[in-house]
Amino acid sequence: MSTVETKLRPGFLEYLLTVGISAMEGRGCYVPVDSAIGKDGMLYVVNRSQQNVARGVRVTMCNTEGEYFGTFGSSGEGDGQFTSPSGIGIDSQGRIYVSDEHLHRIAVFDASGHFLSKFGTHGTQEGEFDTPSGIAIDNQDNLYVADTYNNRIQKFTADGRFRLSFGSQYDGIGDLRLPWGVTVDADGNVYVADWGNDRIQKFSASGEYLATFGDSGDGDGEFYRPSGVAVDHDGFIYVADWGNERVQVLDRAGGFVTSVMGDATLSKWAENFLSVNVEEEAARSRANLEPEIDYFVPDSHEISSHIEKYFWAPASVKLDGAGLLYVTESNRHRVQVYKRSA
Amino acid sequence: MGNSDVGLIAHLMRRAGFGATWDQLHSSGAKGYQATVEELLDPSGEQRMGDDLIRRFQPELSGMLNQNSSGPNWLYRMATTTAPLREKMNLFWHGIFATGYPKVIHGKALSDQIRMFRRHGMGSFRTLLLELSKDPAMIIWLDNQDNRKGAINENFGRELLELFSMGVGSYTETDIQECARAFTGWTIANREYMELRSQRDSDWPYGRISWHFEYRPEDHDEGEKEFLGQRGNLNGQDVIDIICQQEATARFISRHLYSFFVADEPAVPQWPYTPPANEQAIEQLSQVYFDSNYSITAMLRVLFNSDFFKSESSWYTKVKSPVELVVGVARLTGEFDRPRREIMDRYLRAQYMGQWLNNPPSVEGWHEGADWLDTGTVVERVNFATQQLGDVSKPGVQAMIERIAAQSEPVSSPEGLVEACLDQVGALMVSEDTLSELVEFASIGGDDSLASDSPDEEARQRIVEVLQMVAATQVFQRC
Repeated sequence: MSTVETKLRPGFLEYLLTVGISAMEGRGCYVPVDSAIGKDGMLYVVNRSQQNVARGVRVTMCNTEGEYFGTFGSSGEGDGQFTSPSGIGIDSQGRIYVSDEHLHRIAVFDASGHFLSKFGTHGTQEGEFDTPSGIAIDNQDNLYVADTYNNRIQKFTADGRFRLSFGSQYDGIGDLRLPWGVTVDADGNVYVADWGNDRIQKFSASGEYLATFGDSGDGDGEFYRPSGVAVDHDGFIYVADWGNERVQVLDRAGGFVTSVMGDATLSKWAENFLSVNVEEEAARSRANLEPEIDYFVPDSHEISSHIEKYFWAPASVKLDGAGLLYVTESNRHRVQVYKRSA
Repeated sequence: MGNSDVGLIAHLMRRAGFGATWDQLHSSGAKGYQATVEELLDPSGEQRMGDDLIRRFQPELSGMLNQNSSGPNWLYRMATTTAPLREKMNLFWHGIFATGYPKVIHGKALSDQIRMFRRHGMGSFRTLLLELSKDPAMIIWLDNQDNRKGAINENFGRELLELFSMGVGSYTETDIQECARAFTGWTIANREYMELRSQRDSDWPYGRISWHFEYRPEDHDEGEKEFLGQRGNLNGQDVIDIICQQEATARFISRHLYSFFVADEPAVPQWPYTPPANEQAIEQLSQVYFDSNYSITAMLRVLFNSDFFKSESSWYTKVKSPVELVVGVARLTGEFDRPRREIMDRYLRAQYMGQWLNNPPSVEGWHEGADWLDTGTVVERVNFATQQLGDVSKPGVQAMIERIAAQSEPVSSPEGLVEACLDQVGALMVSEDTLSELVEFASIGGDDSLASDSPDEEARQRIVEVLQMVAATQVFQRC
């Protein structure tokens, strides 16, 4: 079985490589929920781990070459600690912003992971959060935060001062329902993965509604619970179609371009693991990892749970300066990297 | 709607579900008892907390890496579903077809088994047994991946007859061996790799990979077999057909249903030596089993409409299992209006009370009934229930307080307050002694604060305290 690309622009996305391995400490990822790319290709991966398990909560620093540069953050409620880390963004100064859904705050770190500051508390007023998730940062270092259960996007200055908010709970134009991922395009427009409404919405920098992309479903250009969105310099829109376990690409007008289901291969860390665990490597080499299965209910979550190379819980899509696309998968503890070939 | 109808429907909801809130009881009461039974038997149109919400906000419950992932997922379903009988039946089958994490070591495989019960647990028993025999968690639990042509492993064949369908005394050792031969080649795909990962608790490199059934004809014994007097080149499906035709199977399932829903029977190993408490009921259910072509729903319909189930003498005679208690309280408090980290605590609370979901103590499951209670678990159970019903931040507790405060006939006496609280937690009926003790407790502070048209904070606090005291009664722990 191979990635299905029967779309308008087959080959638009080309699979490059996979980063990561399941690991509760150190080199690796554990229930990663987002990633961001800093200077010199530094990849920061936010690991949520499991509730009631202190190990695993951290930000892993690495790159696509498989080099590992350490971690920062740990489980807890103190400065520099996380309980349910969610979104991550990096500003022009290299400062790293991480949201925490349980602590209802944004923590700020320097590029090496040293804690700098934090802002936000639990609530519904301006500058307060109920389960903050996705983070986007514009070229003036303003932050847009998906304030999930308040069903709005809040905009802050780099030092955490509230500027404005937009969105309210429902499914009308400009409304939001449990928004998740956010991004900003080259013109400063804001795109929101309107998770509960199965669509992407586009707003101006001041929060005016501009456009809607997609609708509920699993067809081309349709979404089921989209989690993340990224826009490249040509205006192509990349969507983590989380509930359909795929990534879709739309053109700037919302026209469907292509979709991919995942193509993971062994990361360098995975190769290393198997090279020293020869019994598992031998058994794995004899296994059929792409079996044909007669599913009782062939939903995409179930299929991805069986086929290891497919995306399973693709929680975010991020682009780097070179146009590489990073897809972070919570259930597979890895990041699949694609490049635009067209 | 008379009080007797409400009382009877409350009894039904405690046994066929996890209890009922005031709203549910009054909604059901308007429809009547039989219509409520039919609603319970038809889970279509179920409303519940969506998997999308759970998987987003508690992603560890999506990839199901370990022991603590399947249970909380299931608890969410039990606590929020509008089809509680189906979840009750899942508990029923989980207790009989017991599998557990220490050997399976794959959270999703255990969760998939519960999903299989959800699909087939109220349908044909024959289909259920067939799906059970193909279930990856069961295959690993009872070593059927090692049951191969010329080298049989009897574990699954033995338990299929002893614990899953007929009971000791209805077959011979030869039948067990022939049964095992019929199930040779019934295994999981990629057996070597998946078994090795399970044994090593390996989630490397990329998390768990779901298991699925595989039939390997080259490992199946195609020779002639004789099972319970029938000869032929029997495969597993043929064996299940023969098992389902047996009177012993009908009685075995009937007795399990009676014990789970009506009145405790002794533990299964005692069944060959101790006759059923109600032979007539077992015969009646067995007849339905055959008449309906092994339909579990048909058996349940007869059971819930029977006099032996409805009789007031059977009310409150069973001890709630820890999961029934925890879920029942969660449904009253309405705390899971969205995914919350508290789900893990509720899962662990049930464990502290003696019931660890997806980890029963042995292949025999749990010993239900009074065995749930000892001095430690009673304290844990009462503390849990009273603490939860005293938490006024929970929407269900707030709703109960407001309904009592807003009654058209204001509560103006301790007796009235106790009656209103008993009504709110599910039309609970207590003994005369318990009632007088509750009234005595409710009398502390006099009548003044109760007699207002708009009860103040003091009155609301008294409502909460009486609700907590009701949660501490013996009948609250029973169903």
